[in-house]
Amino acid sequence: MQWVETEDTVRFNEVDEWGMAWYGHYMAWFEIGRMSLLRRFDLLPKQLVELGYIAPVINVTCDYKHPAACGDAIIIKTTAIKPEIAALTFKFEILHKEGEILLARGETTQVLLTSYNKMIYRLSGDLEKRINHMLDYCMRE
Amino acid sequence: MRELVSNSEALCEFLKNMIVDTLKLEDVTIDDIGNDTPLFREGLGLDSLDALELVVAIEKIFNVIIEDENVGKRAFASIKALADFIQEEYRQED
Repeated sequence: MQWVETEDTVRFNEVDEWGMAWYGHYMAWFEIGRMSLLRRFDLLPKQLVELGYIAPVINVTCDYKHPAACGDAIIIKTTAIKPEIAALTFKFEILHKEGEILLARGETTQVLLTSYNKMIYRLSGDLEKRINHMLDYCMRE
Repeated sequence: MRELVSNSEALCEFLKNMIVDTLKLEDVTIDDIGNDTPLFREGLGLDSLDALELVVAIEKIFNVIIEDENVGKRAFASIKALADFIQEEYRQED
């Protein structure tokens, strides 16, 4: 499985009163990772809209393994897996850059709607091509 | 498969089992599902993600394609509606 890696730093506004990264910010870091992956395959939200689709997230899971502190350098690893249904599922791992300690592991699922908010049940055309291209890359050994 | 599809009653029973198995419904048995029970929301309470899973199951089992939500709304209105939809698709193939 291939992962796309993105580096970031935990900001002052992302930590709570106990000095640890607030749990909700992990979703924003997932988003950074997802954008890095999508950019490579012309699947950024704006490009999806140009194709006539939007892809709202309908499920998020996150297991928190280790806390991060302000100023910590982190690595966001992202990949996509092939679901049987017409949806997009991404997997994430957030690591402390120093020592590559696993901070959190998560997953998101997005469904695909047309610009008229109708859910599509099957992929087709350019959308299918680009998604398959991304999945072929991610599933590579 | 053609034999099953041509028998409305058997097809409805098959579809009820398919729904319970595919969606791994724990609190629902096939006896809870009437032929006219709406599958979504106020009926069986299925949601749009369940629809995506059913679409895959129906394509695998019957080789019948449900393209999008517009078609799905009609096909998934009830067990009877789904049976009618599949039978109609088979008739068009003949």
